[in-house]
Amino acid sequence: MTDASLLGALFRRWKRRLRLSEEDEAAVVNLTWARKQYQRDAYLTREGEHVKACTVLLQGFAYRQKVLSDGSRQIISFHIPGEFLDIQNCLLEVADHNVQALTRCLVAIVPKELLLQVMSARPAVRQAIWLDSLLDASVFREWVVNVGRRDAKQRIAHLLCELALRMEAAGLGHKPLFDFPLTQEQLADATGLTAVHTNRTLQALRKSGLIALTASKLTIPDWDALAEAGDFSERYLHHSV
Amino acid sequence: MNAPHETALQLLARKLNLHHRLSDADQLAILGLPHKIRRLEAQSYILREGDRPDRCAVLLEGYAFRHKLTGEGARQILAINIPGEALDFQNLFLEEADHNVQMLSRGIIADVQREAIEALIAEHSEIGRAILITTLVEASIFREWVVNIGQRDSRSRIAHLLCEFAYRLNAQALNTSAVYELPITQEQLADATGLTPVHVNRVLQALQREGLIERDRRMIRFPSWERMRDVADFNPRYLHTVDLAS
Repeated sequence: MTDASLLGALFRRWKRRLRLSEEDEAAVVNLTWARKQYQRDAYLTREGEHVKACTVLLQGFAYRQKVLSDGSRQIISFHIPGEFLDIQNCLLEVADHNVQALTRCLVAIVPKELLLQVMSARPAVRQAIWLDSLLDASVFREWVVNVGRRDAKQRIAHLLCELALRMEAAGLGHKPLFDFPLTQEQLADATGLTAVHTNRTLQALRKSGLIALTASKLTIPDWDALAEAGDFSERYLHHSV
Repeated sequence: MNAPHETALQLLARKLNLHHRLSDADQLAILGLPHKIRRLEAQSYILREGDRPDRCAVLLEGYAFRHKLTGEGARQILAINIPGEALDFQNLFLEEADHNVQMLSRGIIADVQREAIEALIAEHSEIGRAILITTLVEASIFREWVVNIGQRDSRSRIAHLLCEFAYRLNAQALNTSAVYELPITQEQLADATGLTPVHVNRVLQALQREGLIERDRRMIRFPSWERMRDVADFNPRYLHTVDLAS
């Protein structure tokens, strides 16, 4: 893939939702950016940093997390290729959370000033970036519900449904089989459960035939059954917009 | 018609200015937004999940909250809003509301047509930036709530919610004393923290016994902000306001 086609994927995703012109596309594709590889678990951003650049995930998976003063970690979101990782930290000056590579990642690093220039010159591009951040916020809200009001089985099933559907919408996989690079520990930190509880819950989901999980592949034999088990309704992903 | 509330949107201008400095001209443009004042009773719905909103309410008096219901009918509160905050910037570019917004107390809102906000953003790029940053700060608060419910024990969780509420009121200069009005029931507090009302009641009593909070009906006071902050594991960084060093 050429460099241009890598950011082109981001643009195509936006175009499914918004009316964007050829000039808008040129402004995005011609952005100056640097390509950078991160190893699994590497930090892209640390809480408290002044973020001077914005990152687009091109290949691999990443996640955001926060660490409490007692050392416990809460994962806040997972990210797939074609998504901005750091638009929030970048525009808010000081990072309020950590961004970490879940797998080996390739990212495009766009200097903040260049991005701001494009956002002010091309209102439609600004709207696209803004829309992305509103979608992120909707997912955060759903995660508040997930950890606050669902039991362990629902929480994990809900998270699996979300990841599968987002990957499918991004053209990165199809039902019933998806890439699944999460460890049980990460799954636990994303759902506010203990590792032991997560393990037991995964086994129960397997036994009841709702999922099959082998070597970083997730199979969902019956989507409706898993969605029901996870109290999953896709409105919050706003895919139909 | 708007006479008693000529400067009604002053609070909104102040809120936006808190996150991104605005020129006098931009602030005047905000005050000039056409709006309609409405008085609402506690529990009134401002927005329901599934609605396709054509306007955005700005809270002028009283408190509001966002919430969602699970398939089993359990309610999770997602945020508490205070005067000066727009209640529907989150849905600006989304067609369908993904959560409910309801009044927590009686209050007053100013309804602004979504088109008027979009026009304001299009004409005043810095106001657009300020609104964008405000929505990002809201997102940061949602992230912190995931952390709060996901990882903190019930005592820290409730203390954290109380600290956030007090800090935001101070940041928007809506409160200058150490006493806060919090018209929230124990049931609502439970729904905001993912706990049961019984558990919330026990924790509030314990916080009171330890002298961390003092309550008198709807009023709450923190005798020592530092102690409360430590119990809550509260770091205001995620609120992205100027540090008040209180």
